Amino acid sequence: MSGFQLANDRLLQVTLQNEKVMSKSGAMVAYDGSIKFDKALTGGEGILGVLKRTVTGESFNLMTASGTGKIYFAHRAREISIISLQGDKFFVESRCLLAFDQSLKTNTAFAGLRGATTGQGLFTTTIEGNGNLAVISHGSLLEFQVTPQYPLFVDPDAFIGYRGSISQEFIFDVNWKTFIGQTSGESFQLKFSGQGIVYIQPSETK
Amino acid sequence: MPSYSLTNEKLLQVVAQNDEIYSKRGSMIAYKGSFNFARAHLIGGSIQQAAMRAVTREGLQLMSATGSGEIYYAHLGKFITIISLNGETMYVESDSVIAFDKRLRADTMFLGNQGIQGLIRGATAGQGLFTTTLSGRGELAIISDGNAIALDVTSDRTLFVDPNAYIGHKGQLTSTTVFDVSWKNLIGQGSGESFQLKFTGTGTVYIQASER
Amino acid sequence: MAYTYETLPVYDNLDRFSFAVEVKDTFFIRKGKMIAYYGNLRFEAVGKSVLDMVVQHTFNAPLHANSFVTVNGQGKLVLGDNYNDINSFDLTDGILTIKSGHVLGFDSHLVCRESIVPGYLTLMGTGRFIASSCSPVFFLEPPCRVDERALLGWADMPCPYFYYDYSYIRSLASMLGSVAGVTSTGEEKQVDFTGKGTVLIQSQEIMPSLQ
Repeated sequence: MSGFQLANDRLLQVTLQNEKVMSKSGAMVAYDGSIKFDKALTGGEGILGVLKRTVTGESFNLMTASGTGKIYFAHRAREISIISLQGDKFFVESRCLLAFDQSLKTNTAFAGLRGATTGQGLFTTTIEGNGNLAVISHGSLLEFQVTPQYPLFVDPDAFIGYRGSISQEFIFDVNWKTFIGQTSGESFQLKFSGQGIVYIQPSETK
Repeated sequence: MPSYSLTNEKLLQVVAQNDEIYSKRGSMIAYKGSFNFARAHLIGGSIQQAAMRAVTREGLQLMSATGSGEIYYAHLGKFITIISLNGETMYVESDSVIAFDKRLRADTMFLGNQGIQGLIRGATAGQGLFTTTLSGRGELAIISDGNAIALDVTSDRTLFVDPNAYIGHKGQLTSTTVFDVSWKNLIGQGSGESFQLKFTGTGTVYIQASER
Repeated sequence: MAYTYETLPVYDNLDRFSFAVEVKDTFFIRKGKMIAYYGNLRFEAVGKSVLDMVVQHTFNAPLHANSFVTVNGQGKLVLGDNYNDINSFDLTDGILTIKSGHVLGFDSHLVCRESIVPGYLTLMGTGRFIASSCSPVFFLEPPCRVDERALLGWADMPCPYFYYDYSYIRSLASMLGSVAGVTSTGEEKQVDFTGKGTVLIQSQEIMPSLQ
């Protein structure tokens, strides 16, 4: 497993020892040692995954970096958080994924009937296995627990991902509509119920 | 001797006592005390008063502040880093300099003069074609998207940098452009960079966590 | 490290860029700045409810009222503003004028008016409000001069005026032979503060003053 570390809160440092790491295309800002970069077809889900993405219009351009050395990844000075998975599954907006261990497998999951307004597909990305992944957020990543007693309502632009046994619903609430400012294009909220953790960013920017 | 300090990561405070400070035009946001402000221009190796040349996009457009008091500088929410020079020369992208004072000798280099490599670096990186060099004993402040990070380069560790993330460097370093075919294949429509900057020698390279 | 309904603060920052508020009394929130909430909350456009009477008194600013909603019910909500720093301010029989787009929320004990300076709101009385800023807020004592883009607001002091740096303009004018090329950066036209009070400054905004 490659070493994931934060060089500062916007710069991810990955140390490789003859290993591979997957990352968002073009996110490398510097490296030392001998590293080779390649386009990755998928995140490990095979040709089916590529087809699914073409259908849904999700853009998830990945690259692999392999070799020995230290690589620095960043994306638009967004804050980075490292999340460790121990066999569990993490549902995440693909645009928020910066880098992840080769040992993790990605896939797409149907996210429900969402309108065309968010500009995202009807699918969300899942990533699972044992390993580290790094997500980017516009502002520090905030984690909120969801319990059967207290479901969580979230602004779709702020949503990053979740883990646990959570069900996601779209709430088309007239009440919520009155809440919409000129900047926000969302006419719905996301409601999360069950048991788990939801990750959000304090921003409306994608 | 002016003293530089960060009131927070996006605000620079310079306390002056009958000193002259040069700053990126438009970045002075507040001041206390009494200062005379004038437009200045850094072209070639000298800082001239703007009155001496016609409006031009060449060189570095500066503002000079002379007097005593406190001046505050900021630029569009970017992070600021203060760098101290002890006789060395610092090379920094002209757009990334926010303030420096008379103690340092300033010069601008038109990258086009460096031949093909310089032109490529300038044109494709989409930045100004200028690098500012500052040398001597004194302080300067740079701006970056997110905190600037200093990476050391040593004789046994070469460093490769995405040109869009590069802010500047100091020390005994040689920089060359590297055309990595494999890297070229990876670049999507957004990012225009199909090459990397390679640094060898001994020194420090400053990068920002962002594509420009 | 995940927050739960119980562990969310009742009225405090979660970190620099986010703020949690427990909804009890009527609270005004700027539309679009809420990123998540727990509980049963009702949002009503200002001026369209039984609270009209309250609104007319506390929030007599028709141009701006449209950007706010009142929140009622039982729950805790989290505010975020595009990666800007968020801070809570306590006013004790004070008066503070602040760029309108930066006001994220305030309690109904405060009176909110449209300032005579375009683009600013004036909050008066005793109560709390939440405001965002582009960089942590820095407080400066007058006398001082400030670039308008970097100005967040001012408290307990007379209204500022514009100061034109004529010597700066003059040298430029003599060079160009006309005043047409003068740009309005903070070096030529500044906001001048005199008297006693506090000026709030921030790093410049990327967009012109937010509505």
